[in-house]
Amino acid sequence: MNAPFYVEVLTRSGEVRHRQRVDALPIRIGQGYDNDYILDDPHTSAHHVVIDRNEAGGLDVLDLGSRNGVVHKGKRRERLTIDGNTVFRLGHTNLRVRAADFSVADEMRDTTYHGWEGWPPAVAGLVLLALLALSTTWMTDTDKTETVRYITAIVGMLIAGLAWSGAWTLANRIFAGQTRFGRHLFIAGCGMLVMELTSLLLSLAGYAFSLESLTRYGGHAMIVITAGMVFFHLVTINPNNPRRYAVTAAILMLLGSALTLTFNYQNRGMFAEEPYMSELFAPSLHLTADRSIDEFLAEAGKRKAAIDEERSKVLSEEGEGEGDDEFD
Amino acid sequence: MRFKSFLALTLFCANASAAEPAEDAVELPTPSSSAQRLYSKAKADIVQLRSLLKNGRTQSSVGSGFLIGKGNLVVTNYHVMSQIALEPDIYVGEYVDTNGKRGAVELLAVDVLHDLAVVRIERNGGGFFNVPDTLPELTQGQYLYSLGNPLDLGFAISEGAYNGVIKRSFYGELMFTGPINAGMSGGPGLTVDGRVAGVNVSHRLDGELVSFLVPVRYVRDLLKKVAAQKEVPKDFKLVVGKQLQEHQATMMDRLAATPLTFKELKPYRVPVWESDQVRCWGRANGKQSKSYSYDQVSCAMESALYVSNQTQTGHISIEHKLLQSTDLGDLRFAVLASRSFQNQSMGGHKDTRYTAPQCVEQFVSNGKLPVRAVLCVRAYRKFPELYDFTLLAASTDSGRMSLQTRVDTSGVTYENGLRIARIFLEQASREVQP
Repeated sequence: MNAPFYVEVLTRSGEVRHRQRVDALPIRIGQGYDNDYILDDPHTSAHHVVIDRNEAGGLDVLDLGSRNGVVHKGKRRERLTIDGNTVFRLGHTNLRVRAADFSVADEMRDTTYHGWEGWPPAVAGLVLLALLALSTTWMTDTDKTETVRYITAIVGMLIAGLAWSGAWTLANRIFAGQTRFGRHLFIAGCGMLVMELTSLLLSLAGYAFSLESLTRYGGHAMIVITAGMVFFHLVTINPNNPRRYAVTAAILMLLGSALTLTFNYQNRGMFAEEPYMSELFAPSLHLTADRSIDEFLAEAGKRKAAIDEERSKVLSEEGEGEGDDEFD
Repeated sequence: MRFKSFLALTLFCANASAAEPAEDAVELPTPSSSAQRLYSKAKADIVQLRSLLKNGRTQSSVGSGFLIGKGNLVVTNYHVMSQIALEPDIYVGEYVDTNGKRGAVELLAVDVLHDLAVVRIERNGGGFFNVPDTLPELTQGQYLYSLGNPLDLGFAISEGAYNGVIKRSFYGELMFTGPINAGMSGGPGLTVDGRVAGVNVSHRLDGELVSFLVPVRYVRDLLKKVAAQKEVPKDFKLVVGKQLQEHQATMMDRLAATPLTFKELKPYRVPVWESDQVRCWGRANGKQSKSYSYDQVSCAMESALYVSNQTQTGHISIEHKLLQSTDLGDLRFAVLASRSFQNQSMGGHKDTRYTAPQCVEQFVSNGKLPVRAVLCVRAYRKFPELYDFTLLAASTDSGRMSLQTRVDTSGVTYENGLRIARIFLEQASREVQP
């Protein structure tokens, strides 16, 4: 460990907030102005610690009899041996000391596409959103074509997209000091596109292979995509910690799915979003073999036991009269 | 356009202030002298029957009834007594006669199929109403007089004409062209010489003075049953359940005896039952949309059984809908067809009357027409071995046409529900191959 040394004040999340060079040992740290490093922290003493070389050649932090002491990993220490990665706390201040010969991590590969900032991604995002609004409206526009429907759809979609990416831009500005609005808008546009395509694909696959659960639980795919979008938004804000954000997004996804399942169960009495698959496509997309009527009815016959069992369960009276029969 | 809005003539207090078309007709026509004569003779033997909440004894519904002979038996409608039959823990009956005398009511027998009930009260009749073995012959156009307590306003008599037996109803109700209002349910329908012709039961909300009477022969049958009955059934739910089973068997026999009619929704041929009891109506979207056409055939049984004020059963309805693309591409037509096939109500899961519906779905083919079939079933909680079936089927033979069928069968056994589903799956076909 060679001089000069650098005393670094860290945020709680480990980012350097302030750094000061000290040319020689020992390093005196405290609130007093006769220290090598002055702490602006009322919870530290005038002469809080001194850092000096120990017998093994490393550095030791020595408490000078302060009230709040030196805390490392939640424990108060009279003497603490530190290296360039040890973070210790004096009062409310997190500190780290690194020597000039501290070996830093290798240069990271720059994966950021610096040309893709500002207007180009913003316009691309808006165009994607507008096209999506246009195509979904066109798909369901089977009656009289009314231009106003298309305009409302596009405006609605753009407002939603702008609000969503606006919120992320604000977060970006707060946490990383820059806006990157274009990037966020582009992520929103791509996310929506992926959602539309996925939903179409799920419908097609569900129909083609008679896999009803693909559409009956399709909402969870949308939650996965939303979690993906959140991940990309977070990485846009801070590219240094993708793994942590992946975990955050995964937790959000699980929460979202669990909420959806609970909601469906409470409101529909089943975990699926719909009681049956309603998708219908052209015959060329129907790839499985047709069953016979006997097989179909035999399958229906097997449900009798489950339905009869359901019948024997006692219900509370709250739902009385929710049915659709009328005798006026 | 389906005319299915009947008014059961029990007056529910909750509905009393609701603006029903029937209430416009509160003022009754001036009775003729024969009506005056009849009313003064019948007055002593007609009663109002109330179903009261045990807790607090407030009235929940009211109807009418009439004492038979000099005994203490009162004939009324099942639907006047349905709460007491199905929920005896919550409801209790009470009668009020024309002198304002009140007393307890004991339910002795019910006939759900014909909507009749017999109760015992704590006083005897004056002998005016009799149900002999030989019943009066009615001729169309003759005067009938209907007695009861309309809208809980007070006892009244109304005059009208007998207009034959309704073929549309399952059990041959009589058509009475005269005012019958809510609250008159269970009251007698009399000939001019005071013979009982029927029991007031319902009227159509969409018509004027189109009312119905239960033929008196069913009253005679029920009274005989009561006379032969050794003890009063402890649980009327079981009795009602058994009668619903009987009804569904009769309904299935009738349907089995009715040959299927085939309607053309070109190029498809779709099966329906069309008979006096099951009527069909058609509908099309005409020229409103240029991109697709829409034709529909709906058939429904004209009558259903009243079980409680929230449940009707023993019914079947059939709907065939053909969507055809004129200038929509495959994808847009697929979206249109899917949306039409989507979100069909099968009933909720919080209903205390039925279980949550359970569905099976598959691609099914009968060799003539491949379809995507969905069959959903729910069970009645109060009555064993009775189910509601909903069959959905959408043709999968063309990318520019979608034939969508919905068949609802209510109050049948599991076996019969599957039988009906089979009929519709087996019979749909396409005339010309593409």
